[in-house]
Amino acid sequence: MTPTTDEATKRFTWKSASVDTNRGDAYYEALYASCEARLQAVRTQKAVNRLDLMEVLDDHGIDRRDFMKWASATTAALMLPSMFTPLVAEAAMLMNRAPVIWLELQDCAGNSEALLRSDGPKIDELVLDLISLEFHETLQAASGHQAEKQLEEAIEHFKGRYLLFVEGSIPMGMGGQYGTIGASGETFHDHLVRVAKDAAAIVAVGSCATFGGVAAASPNPTGAVGVMEVVKGKPIINIPACPANPANMVGVVLHYLMTGQVPELDNLLRPKFAFGYRIHDNCERRAHFDAGEFVEEWGDTGAQNNFCLYKMGCKGPMTYNNCSIVRYNEAVNWPIGVGRGCIGCSEPDFWDKYAFERPVADANIKAPGGGVEKSVDEFGLGMLTAAGIGIAVHAAASALAGKKEEAGANV
Amino acid sequence: MKNQSYKQVKRMTPAMRIIHWVNALCMIGAVATGLYIGHPYYATFIADGAVDKYVMAWNRYGHFIIAIIFDVTSILIAYLYFFSRFEKPYKKLIPNAQNLREFGAVVVNLITLNRVKKFDSAHVDSFNSVYFTLFHLLLVWMLFTGLQLYVHSFTAGTSSIGGWWPAFLHIATDWTIWASGGTIMDVRLSHHASMWWILAWILFHVYYQVWRTIFWKEGDIGIVISGTKFVKEDALS
Repeated sequence: MTPTTDEATKRFTWKSASVDTNRGDAYYEALYASCEARLQAVRTQKAVNRLDLMEVLDDHGIDRRDFMKWASATTAALMLPSMFTPLVAEAAMLMNRAPVIWLELQDCAGNSEALLRSDGPKIDELVLDLISLEFHETLQAASGHQAEKQLEEAIEHFKGRYLLFVEGSIPMGMGGQYGTIGASGETFHDHLVRVAKDAAAIVAVGSCATFGGVAAASPNPTGAVGVMEVVKGKPIINIPACPANPANMVGVVLHYLMTGQVPELDNLLRPKFAFGYRIHDNCERRAHFDAGEFVEEWGDTGAQNNFCLYKMGCKGPMTYNNCSIVRYNEAVNWPIGVGRGCIGCSEPDFWDKYAFERPVADANIKAPGGGVEKSVDEFGLGMLTAAGIGIAVHAAASALAGKKEEAGANV
Repeated sequence: MKNQSYKQVKRMTPAMRIIHWVNALCMIGAVATGLYIGHPYYATFIADGAVDKYVMAWNRYGHFIIAIIFDVTSILIAYLYFFSRFEKPYKKLIPNAQNLREFGAVVVNLITLNRVKKFDSAHVDSFNSVYFTLFHLLLVWMLFTGLQLYVHSFTAGTSSIGGWWPAFLHIATDWTIWASGGTIMDVRLSHHASMWWILAWILFHVYYQVWRTIFWKEGDIGIVISGTKFVKEDALS
C-alpha cells in the first residue's frame, strides 16, 4: 500500500472518521497468523545491536509484570484485540532488528527530546532505545565527512529495509538555501530526497516534518513544508504533535515490525490508531463542556474545579490525537490535565489557526489577502455598521428628496 | 387629484409565507445558539453539578434542530425555484436582455429615491430575485459548512441511525475544507463569518421592503403576511 498525498486525499476527511475497531474473528486470526510468521522471520535476522530489552528494563527497575502491563496497553492503543499482547511484547523485544535512520531538518529537536526523555525514561522510551539508530544527526558523535560516510554506509547496508524518521520541516525558499547540512553544503531538500530513496517507509515525526509546523507559520519566510510535500512514491506515516508522542512512535515501529506494513492511515497520513478520535471525544473534562461550565480566567473557581478550557482557547473539539487517552510520559499527564487548553498541535497550520489562548471566535485572524488582523466578530460588526450607515444615508436622502407615489383619494 | 383605484395582486402563496417565517425564526434561533457555541456568552451557576445543567449541549441540540429545519426548507425552496406552479424564480435569474434591463431599472429606482420608476412592480422583479438567491446561496454554504463541522462529532464513523449518515455527510461536505482554506478551522471561521453576511443581508432586506412600502405606496410589506399587494389599475393596463 502506497498512500498517495495528492490534494484530493488530503482535503477529504471521510477516511479519517471510520475507525473500524472490530473486524471480526476471521480477520484477526488471519492477521495473528501472518504476524506470528513475520516475527519468526524477524527473529532470525541478525540483531543490529546487542541490547536486550529485559536487561535494559531491569537496569531501570522495571519488572516483567510492568512490561506486560505496558504491552497490553500498547495492544489496546494499536486497536488490536488482547490476544495480540504476546506478539506486541515480542515485537518490542525484537526492536533491535529495525534499522532506523533519523534526519534532523528545520526544527527545535523537540522530537528527539521526546524520544530520549533522558531524565526519567519510561518503557516507551526504553523500547525506542532498542531500535538500531544507525544515524542520528543530533545524537551521534561523528561530524563532517565522517558523518557523511556513516550515512552512506548505513544507506548501503540497509538498502530498502531501513525506516527513515524525519524530524523538522524542509525549507523550500531561496532554492533550499535556508537549511544546508554536511561538508558539501547539501540542502535539506536534497538530503531528504537522497536518504528517502532507499527507505522502506518514512515516518515524519512532529508537526514540522508533517505539515511544516511552527517553521511554516505565517509569513513562512523559509517556505517550509512537510515531508509529504517533498517525497513522492514512498509510504509515508505522519506522527504530528509538538512533540510527537513517543507512544505513537513505538506504535508505528511495532506495527511495522509485526505486520511488515504501515498502519491504517487517515487523510493526512496519520495512523488511525492514534489520530482516529478527537481530543474532545475522550477528554476528562468533556462533561463540563456539555454542562456549559467553563474556566473564565486563569486561576478562577472554574479552574480550581477542573472546568472545561474551551473559553481559554482549548482546540480539543477540532484536534485529532490520542493524548486524552495515552497522555504523555507513561500517562503521567497532558496539557488539559495540567489546566491549560489544547493548541491543536497535531493539525495542519496549527500555529496560525489553532494556537490562540481564546476561542477561535475571538481570535484575530488575517483578512483574506493579509492585512489587518481582526476577530470574525469585529469584522462582522464592522460590516454590519457599514451596511447600517449606507441604509441610514439612503433613508435620510429618501425622507428629504424621495418621491412618494400619490395615493389618490378614495371615492 | 383624480380618484385612484387599486387592484389586489397575489405575490406569495401560503407555502412561501410559511417558509419565510420559519426561516426568519430559525435565523434568530441559529444566531443565538451559534454565538453561544462559538463563544459561550453566559455562565451557568457553579453551584449546580454538571449533570444538572447541559447548557452547551442544549444550545448545540437547538442549533442542530434548527439546522435540520433550515435544510428541509432549503430543499423545498430549491424545488420551488424550478417547479413552483405560482412563479418560478429561476426565470428571473437568467441574464437575458429583459432581466438585465429590469435589474438595472430597479437599481435606478432605488438610487434615484423613487424619482425614476420604469418597471412593472406588480410581479417579483429581477433585482429582488437575485438578492433572494444570494441569501439562499449563503444558507446553502452555512448548511454544508455546518454539516462538515457536525460530522466530526460522529466518533468512529457511526451514528444512532447507522454509519451511512456520517459517510454521506463526509461525501457531501468535505469539499468545504478545501473551499474555505484547507483546515477544519477554516470551515469554522467561514461558518461564523457567513453569519455576519447573512445578518447584513437581513438588514438591507428589511429596510428595502419598508422603503418600498413607504415610497411606492403599494403595500409591499403586507405581502409576507397576506400574500398580496396592491397596484394602481392604470399601471396594470
